[in-house]
Amino acid sequence: MTKEKIIEVISQNIIENLDDLENETIDPMKSMKDYGANSLDMIEVVSCSMRELNIKVPRAELADIETIDQLADKFLAFAEA
Amino acid sequence: MADNILNYSLADFHYNDNADVLSPPDDFNEWINNPKVKEVFSFFEQELLDAPRVSTEILSNLDGKKRHIINLTSYNYLGLSTHPEVIQAAVEAVQKYGLSSSGAPLLSGTLDIHTELASKIAAFKQKEDCLLYSSGFGGNVGAIQGIMRKGDFLVMDEKCHRSLVDGGTLSGAKMLFFAHNDMDSLQMMLEKCKGKRVLVVVEGVYSMDGDLAKMPEIVEICEQYKAGIYIDEAHSTLMFGENGRGVAEHFGVEDKVGITFGTMSKSFGGVGGFVCANKSLIKYLKGYSSPWNFSCAPSPAVSGGLIKALEVATRDSSLRDKMWENTRFMKKSLLAMNLDLGDTESQVIPIIIGASGEKLLKYAAGMQTRGLFLQPVDFPAVPAHARRFRMSVSSQLTQAEMDETLNIIEDVIVKGEKS
Repeated sequence: MTKEKIIEVISQNIIENLDDLENETIDPMKSMKDYGANSLDMIEVVSCSMRELNIKVPRAELADIETIDQLADKFLAFAEA
Repeated sequence: MADNILNYSLADFHYNDNADVLSPPDDFNEWINNPKVKEVFSFFEQELLDAPRVSTEILSNLDGKKRHIINLTSYNYLGLSTHPEVIQAAVEAVQKYGLSSSGAPLLSGTLDIHTELASKIAAFKQKEDCLLYSSGFGGNVGAIQGIMRKGDFLVMDEKCHRSLVDGGTLSGAKMLFFAHNDMDSLQMMLEKCKGKRVLVVVEGVYSMDGDLAKMPEIVEICEQYKAGIYIDEAHSTLMFGENGRGVAEHFGVEDKVGITFGTMSKSFGGVGGFVCANKSLIKYLKGYSSPWNFSCAPSPAVSGGLIKALEVATRDSSLRDKMWENTRFMKKSLLAMNLDLGDTESQVIPIIIGASGEKLLKYAAGMQTRGLFLQPVDFPAVPAHARRFRMSVSSQLTQAEMDETLNIIEDVIVKGEKS
């Protein structure tokens, strides 16, 4: 699993779960909030992405994450552990 | 999962990929049956063997023993659930009407005591009309779901109760959450839905932190954006304001709040919920609020008791005065111990321990063994870095019980933090 692949999966889930993003390019240095996600949307994006990537990171460890890039790093570290 | 089992929580098992739809996720079973997780869950569903007074008895899950305890977890803020006049009124109602209303309110469930209670609550809240719900959770779900529609916008404080969020999800309205009590964030969200039908939802007292909604600022911003206001006064009705009407009265903005909600299970000492608003909106809700028109009307015993509870709590201010006297004493004493109480301004006093779940549970067990029932509140109910105890201060607390409580907290938490 590469970081690029993880970012691709997260970005696709952001586009699928949020309104009006069909033609957007997702910038990993931004947060999901920047794309209009509320807390329920973020749970949905994270859950869908983890299922697709077949990993399970405890939610309690995601509390301090701000950007999509940081989320991808966390997923990668977990996948490699 | 086995090497970091305690890092997982109920937040991690919402989705279920088990092919057998009648089974929870496989990894949930592995997690919930792990001895360490079982130990965590042993704090929950401990049986009270007597009424939820400050002084009561539990069957401890920790060692299987019956234990007399000082109970600072139940939200019986004014002690009304066991007030002799309230009990007598409930007994008289059950003797006259029986156990159940035996029908939905629209068809046959409305008893004369329901109409009397709703009318007295509306008059107390200074609103035109009131709708009673059998459950507080159902009341919030039902009011939001009954009013809002797809295409509308709900702008909610991020710390709003689950019932409000679930009502929003059911309504189909777009939900935007603003940072807790942050007026810049509120304004930013309202900018996003300019020109739409918008309802701003806040709580009088936030249930996990005990702080208050900044109502004067919220009202000003909502007027600017022509947004309606819904306030959930579950933890503030009968306690805040000169007449006990809540946080909106406390800040002198009641006439600017369109919809006020409250529960009957906290200061009232019963169970259920109520929504107060103008007559036409209440009439509309009766047609569209599913938890009202598809639920059995509230139990006669509870409704009879609640009429008396409202009378007892409002005929003078003695109960809330005593509750505030106890709250001031507890807060001052806990602050003197250098404990982190967050920004509490109410009878809900959090003692914030921090990120360590293990420490939280160690302290909870230590306090319970000494006779103090102060339940831990863990992630995901509160942020993972701010796990806590949530103290509910009651008017029933005696000075001796407060002194003993403080002794136990000092011995277990304060000394524990130093060691």
